[in-house]
Amino acid sequence: MLLKRRLGLLAWLLTSSALFAASSSLRVVGSTTVNPVVVRAAEKLKAEKGLAIVVDTQGGSSGGITALADGRADVAMASRPLTDGDRTKYPKVDFRPVEIGVDALAVVVAKDVWEGGVRALSAEQLRSIYDGTFKNWQELGGPDRRIAFFNKEPGRGTWEVFVHWLYGDAKKAPHVAHLEVGSNEEARTKVASTPGGISQLSAAWADGRRVFPLAIRLPDGRQVTPTKEHLADGSYPLARPLLLITNGPPSATAKALLDYLLGPAGQELVRAAGYLGLRDGAQQAAPLPQKGTRPTRSVGALLAAPFPRPQP
Amino acid sequence: MRRAVDRLFWGFAGAATALALLAFVAIAGAILSRAWPALSWRFLTTAAADGGASGGVGWQLVGTAVLVTTALAVALPLATGLALLVEVFAGARTARLLRLGLYVGNGIPSIVFGLFALAVFSKALGWGKSWLAGGLVLGFMILPTVTVALAERMAAIPLKYREAAAGLGLGTSDIVRAVILPQSVGGLVSGAMLGLARAAGETAPILFAAAVFSGATWPAGIAESPVLALPYHIFVLAQDSLDPAATPRLWGAAAVLLALAVSVSAVALPARLAAHEEARRV
Amino acid sequence: MKFWAWVAGGLVALIGAALALLFVVDALPVFRHSGFGAYLFGSEWFYRAERFGILSMLYGTLAVAAVALAVATPVGLGTAIFLAEAPLPRRSRLLIKSVVELLAGIPSVVYGLLGVLVLREVVFRFLAPWEPLSGDTLLTAGLLLAVMTLPTFVTLADDALRGVPAVQREAGRALGFSRGEVVRRVALPQALPGLVAAGLLALGRALGETIAVFLVVGRQDNQLPSPWWSPAPLAASGQTLTSKLGGAETFLAYDDPLHWGAMSGLALVLVLLVTATTLIGGRLLVGRGGIRAARG
Repeated sequence: MLLKRRLGLLAWLLTSSALFAASSSLRVVGSTTVNPVVVRAAEKLKAEKGLAIVVDTQGGSSGGITALADGRADVAMASRPLTDGDRTKYPKVDFRPVEIGVDALAVVVAKDVWEGGVRALSAEQLRSIYDGTFKNWQELGGPDRRIAFFNKEPGRGTWEVFVHWLYGDAKKAPHVAHLEVGSNEEARTKVASTPGGISQLSAAWADGRRVFPLAIRLPDGRQVTPTKEHLADGSYPLARPLLLITNGPPSATAKALLDYLLGPAGQELVRAAGYLGLRDGAQQAAPLPQKGTRPTRSVGALLAAPFPRPQP
Repeated sequence: MRRAVDRLFWGFAGAATALALLAFVAIAGAILSRAWPALSWRFLTTAAADGGASGGVGWQLVGTAVLVTTALAVALPLATGLALLVEVFAGARTARLLRLGLYVGNGIPSIVFGLFALAVFSKALGWGKSWLAGGLVLGFMILPTVTVALAERMAAIPLKYREAAAGLGLGTSDIVRAVILPQSVGGLVSGAMLGLARAAGETAPILFAAAVFSGATWPAGIAESPVLALPYHIFVLAQDSLDPAATPRLWGAAAVLLALAVSVSAVALPARLAAHEEARRV
Repeated sequence: MKFWAWVAGGLVALIGAALALLFVVDALPVFRHSGFGAYLFGSEWFYRAERFGILSMLYGTLAVAAVALAVATPVGLGTAIFLAEAPLPRRSRLLIKSVVELLAGIPSVVYGLLGVLVLREVVFRFLAPWEPLSGDTLLTAGLLLAVMTLPTFVTLADDALRGVPAVQREAGRALGFSRGEVVRRVALPQALPGLVAAGLLALGRALGETIAVFLVVGRQDNQLPSPWWSPAPLAASGQTLTSKLGGAETFLAYDDPLHWGAMSGLALVLVLLVTATTLIGGRLLVGRGGIRAARG
């Protein structure tokens, strides 16, 4: 009898445990590109206001969005725009993206490739590298070296943006199995130490000493480098927003985080991480700072036209 | 000729041994030398900051302590019951089956336990990331280790003690309480130490359903209460190093984990070695 | 007391069964989709295209384990012979054994870190003539695993050798064998079942290791040797069952039954592989009443 009651209590405990006073921490999950900014913001908020914010990066941008949709996260960090695919996959989710900055996605190469003369590539050429048509840098005007392509892991915002720009849709990307890298740091280290190396990387990490960012050759022949100016004026095609996404209106803690990141201290963190802050777009376009105006063309345009449009 | 072959033989054996010893020295040396700048008492007690680039591993140690305590709380009672079953209560065939089961259980890869935690606790029970999920699977994972250490100790109790107790008229349960359990405490302790070392150092079981990288402190409640953990901290930084400046601290965290695992294993050493030495000196 | 012991046993048996059943049930969708054979022997894994073939991961797992054993067995055997047969003072023997046991206590993430920050560079430089893409190769993972499985092998091999009765050794000496010859002609052949078991249990450990392998194996899918006997993939990145499970796809698969089924299938195959090796090795040991090997 006693045993029965004990077992019953145990069973009730386990099954109703989901109802137990869950910790009131804010759960933030997603992109490793956005992570450095959010982790530091969370630390500051904890120190200043005692807010409990838990941050993790499992699964990258797509993993974060999935977690948000599942209810496993309160805020998703993403380094790519939300797509129709996301909305169709999760019709019940009320995605509320908030942009905290902009990052350029650079295609970086190793020193020997850079010094061998390869300074710019077009989308066409990048497609041929990605699907394995070109295997040697010589075919692209570079040194006689095999092309060592380090592909970003699935789920990483960097990969999604890159593939979207090349093929228009992640699903249309050819199925190739390149060597995978996870984080920006890992990509940089691998490219730097491998002759013939090339990878997609957040432009903030392309330091021009260990790895070198290529310019993109546009269809009209212009070569656009991934600088902050080109990012701000919209000429560099591979730009991506840094987003924090909630399901429905943000909770109090989430709002505190968002407000912090949109405010001067948070934007300073964004800039310190090497990304473009929200106001920088306006500052580049209009030298005289105009108080209170939201940035005009580039950044707003990014939200309107979700992905960099695929190049022919 | 025979002499030469012999010399070669012993040379090979000696060289192999030297290599094995060198491995340990090299590993410990590599870690400690790189970790030295970051190690200090403050390192152990402050929280991580800047995503691991500064600060210490205080909360990671707390999280690991929470997980390990839970694991032991689960494993010790179950191990006692199982060991008694194998050594005292079960018939020969059942005991053999149980032993085989312990072997198999000991060999199950830790990532499988991690997936189990994800599927059962995180998904099915809806706990999300929870310290309890981590503690429970860690407990299951170390169960064979603890059970075997305890069972061996029980098996080593001289038969005459049990016979004497039986001769005094004690029933089996009483014999267990009066003779077997007290005499095998050493086995429980050494098993617990081994289990502790393993539970503290494992990443895979807590990877999916228990640990997060930053922001957690003391768990509150069961569901949605992750913890920080030292092995997971190292794992994330090793791939996603947010900052090259984090490197000395990364080595420092590794040194702390190493010191923890090695010192706990060292406590269990005498018992383990003694058991091995006694064995089969036929 | 007896009651609680049986409750404990029942509970543990239940959990073990639940674990096995869980993966079988969860993996069903992918078997229905691809067919069991296509899943096991399919050479392509592209989860976006819903193509799930794990052959390259099976290859990776076995290749890494093979490298690990190839390195660990000679070194481990030599060490075990030295420990068991050389005329050492008791103190020295205990000291060496202690160091080996401590080696076993090093957490796998620490090995992984050493692999990432140290071993990777070494292998990259070593393989330079063959122009590897990076130092993350199956070889690197295998070498790391060799050090990790060494203690297991040494301990069990030492036990096996010491289990050979002294009487037999004395007989050998009486026949005029030198110490070394006694080992080679008497002890080793007699200890062979135990040694094989030691190898199998070390293999089981190598098959199941995740974290260290994950960090240095390169995680590149669909790497298979062509022709099939070529050792070239060893110098290139690869993927093992465990490195796939420990990666991002497990989270991506969370709410997709087919993808999750594919991942559960990986776990199932892994458990079956490891259980098989452990059972065979265990039978060789348990038969001799040697439960101590299960200490791990």
